[in-house]
Amino acid sequence: MIVTLNTPRFVCLSTLRILILLGLCVSACLPLGAWANKIDTHEYQFKNGLRLVVKEDRRAPTVAHMVWYRAGSMDELNGKTGVAHVLEHMMFKGTEKVKSGDFSRMVAAVGGRENAFTARDFTGYFQQIEKSKLADVMRLEADRMANLKFSDEEFLKEIQVVMEERRLRTDDSPNGLMRELMMATAFTSSPYRHPIIGWMNDLQNMKPNDARQWYRDWYAPNNAIVVVVGDVKPLEVRALVEKYYGPISAKQLPERKPQVEPEQKGEKRANLKALADSPQIMMGWKVPKLDPKKMDDADPYALEVLSAALSGHDNSRLNRELVRSKRLANNAGASYDLISRGPELFMISATVAKGQSVSDLEKGILQTIQEIAMNGITEAELKRIKAQLLASQIYKRDSIFAQAMEIGSAEIAHVSWKDLDRIIERIQQIQSEQIKAAVKRYFIVDGLTIVTLEPQARTVSANPKPIPSLPSNLRH
Amino acid sequence: MMYIVQIYIKRYLLIFIALGCGIWGKAYAVLPIQEIALSNGSKAYLVQATTIPMIDIEISVDAGSRYDPKGKSGLAGLTAALLTRGIEWNGSLLNEAMQADAIADLGASISASASGERTIVRARSLSKPDVFNPVLDLLSAAISKPIFDAQIVAREKQRISSAIAEGDTKPEVVMQKRFRKELFRDYPLAESPSLLSIASIDADDLKRFHRNFYRQDRMIINMVGDLDVKTAKQVAEKLIAQLPQQGPAIPALPPFIPSPLAPEADRLIRIPFQTQQTHIALGMSSITRSNPDYFPLLVGNYVLGGGGFVSRLVGEVRDKRGYAYSVFSYFQPGRETGSFEAGLQTRNDQANQALVVLQETIARFIKEGPSDSELAAAKSNLMNGFPLRLDSNRKLLDNLSAITWNQLPLNTLDVWTQQVAAVKKEDVRAAFQRHLDMGRMISILVGGAQ
Repeated sequence: MIVTLNTPRFVCLSTLRILILLGLCVSACLPLGAWANKIDTHEYQFKNGLRLVVKEDRRAPTVAHMVWYRAGSMDELNGKTGVAHVLEHMMFKGTEKVKSGDFSRMVAAVGGRENAFTARDFTGYFQQIEKSKLADVMRLEADRMANLKFSDEEFLKEIQVVMEERRLRTDDSPNGLMRELMMATAFTSSPYRHPIIGWMNDLQNMKPNDARQWYRDWYAPNNAIVVVVGDVKPLEVRALVEKYYGPISAKQLPERKPQVEPEQKGEKRANLKALADSPQIMMGWKVPKLDPKKMDDADPYALEVLSAALSGHDNSRLNRELVRSKRLANNAGASYDLISRGPELFMISATVAKGQSVSDLEKGILQTIQEIAMNGITEAELKRIKAQLLASQIYKRDSIFAQAMEIGSAEIAHVSWKDLDRIIERIQQIQSEQIKAAVKRYFIVDGLTIVTLEPQARTVSANPKPIPSLPSNLRH
Repeated sequence: MMYIVQIYIKRYLLIFIALGCGIWGKAYAVLPIQEIALSNGSKAYLVQATTIPMIDIEISVDAGSRYDPKGKSGLAGLTAALLTRGIEWNGSLLNEAMQADAIADLGASISASASGERTIVRARSLSKPDVFNPVLDLLSAAISKPIFDAQIVAREKQRISSAIAEGDTKPEVVMQKRFRKELFRDYPLAESPSLLSIASIDADDLKRFHRNFYRQDRMIINMVGDLDVKTAKQVAEKLIAQLPQQGPAIPALPPFIPSPLAPEADRLIRIPFQTQQTHIALGMSSITRSNPDYFPLLVGNYVLGGGGFVSRLVGEVRDKRGYAYSVFSYFQPGRETGSFEAGLQTRNDQANQALVVLQETIARFIKEGPSDSELAAAKSNLMNGFPLRLDSNRKLLDNLSAITWNQLPLNTLDVWTQQVAAVKKEDVRAAFQRHLDMGRMISILVGGAQ
């Protein structure tokens, strides 16, 4: 099954679970942008280095409050992969004033919904509340920016939870393993090659002080952005932020080494054996992302349009040609992220149809790309993609949460919210020739990584080791 | 998205619409539900929300997979999927490619899927007439004039068969299928689509199912967005104009019988599976949405396993013991069926201990109910968080949909917080004891084989 999102580049968190379960999350997301941004969005800078972006949206009496730290798995060092995500879990374990678990209890008491997320580029925390409760949650969030305190015992229990999370989402999931293998194969020196959740062995050897050190290094107002979207007055929000986050001192941040990925010089391949039924293929090409200093470079916008042409709706090229017409695949989709801190891959993923081979499917995918390299895309396709893009700009206003995610994820990659409108305009101006040029430039075999899934049947052995039956005296 | 912006969240957000069914606080201007009488005698419903120039439409069709004929499990789902795989359009053919392009050219979306009780067709469009009017025509044609092309049916059957085979390699899918089987027993929802049942479906089955079930008297139309009552009435009438008003009598379904008391050996099922984790589901039949105990169970389940990071199950299983990343419980009350389910996933070697903790936590809660402070915390969250349930058109539509499908009073949301406020500790305990019983709980464990 293919899930195509017309929402912003962010898989909204409630759908994330579904995407993971379906495995093949494909998204030719028409991205970004907010056409009314400049009227209703305000930005403030505080003395301790903290930045605040507030977007007014008065249609419902609710607010989304987020803090984004520019510290994700890409900032981790060898042997300590996963520490950004582990620390994110520990952030719910109390501060000098707030007991473990009380953070969540207090947010719940005011009716809030909360969670946190870790990605390669960032770690974020959020609460959604009725508007009069903003100060309550901001006070708590600011407190844990500076005063986190957890015991070794808490850490030792939580690291078990994280290992269960890894088993659930990666080790027992062929798609999770494929994604992990793709990144580890495509990248040689970039920290993007490590999984966000960390390698199991690193988790097994992680110490409480590794997490504490991570917190001391990166959790500081000068490494954070507060984003507030909803039924608020910007100046009042500014005053609240000044009150709660203002007293926190800036820190000297660790030096970030560029760790630029060397040029790939030849195709890379990897094969994965896992419990599955149909073979799958993932193909990833090294492509550029949006460079905030070169906003006029057309290639990233062209790649965004390409991704929509390949899998933006039911009849876009991958589905039409590979699934419907040639019957090589059961599902196929493309994904590309315009905005990120690290190096970018343009991904195509597909599941092999019964009776077909993974090599024929690979050829079919390459033919689809080749066709665009030769002839570009049609005027009808361009017009359609633009219509979808324009409509998505209206639909996205339906969620203040998605709007806050959009601002935060752009800002964290040094793309200003002020440029989001411009990005939409640029995407709209893309022509077929620019797409052709981008495909010719980047879809080359020397920059390609291919990961295949070779299904392993579920063997029900004649003598299965059963789950031991439950001793009746087992009690806790 | 799939790689770079892969995100790990602290805990899965478990969103269950069934229980999430609406709340509107007295303190806020509630957008009213307007009932619209159509000229054929049926009803449509509107929540007018004008701040964004967009419209969401949902058609609920009383054509859930419980109406799949014996041996043809998957028919309702395949019928729904084929609504967007080619239609008859002004007397000629709009094939699946043209249909998809036409919808995308308008920046709109149309989707359809079948669940156990009903099939849901949804469309989202901009509200300006030059976009909305053609979207409306396309939506009307999708529900009225699908062509069920034999070649496309064959292709979709192949794809579904592959998805079924793939599902059989996933512990969570195997677990959920078995849970349904044990939960529904003689009710038609016990069967999941299989390679055999899909193979037995042909284009004629689909046409017949569509003819028998897609008709005016089995549909509810829900609308949210930038349109007024007068327009909404025209929209609803136009949507269903090409469908028959009624059709042949549909044989009544067997009653949904509550889970029986049984010895544990008959209720505990272990399925060996080559995974590192064992997936555990524990549950039984439970209330329908119109049951008067709905609110005590809603408040109680918040305390037990529904309330984010603060539930008893999260405390016992995750925080105290580190057994699982995700642990939860929920009620899923439908119109004629309903269930309670709790679950977790944990390392194989501690699956038995985790099951015991799950059982004991639930058993204790049924016996004792919540404490005073737990009850207060649950009410505080549900009532204070009320506006978050209604702060988008999507959420308004979800609420409207649950109310109209379950035939709840149209003021359900207006009195929602009052009903939460009125729940007493004893109500929760009594309701849990009335509707849950450890002697009836089904446990499914999938995993453990190395």
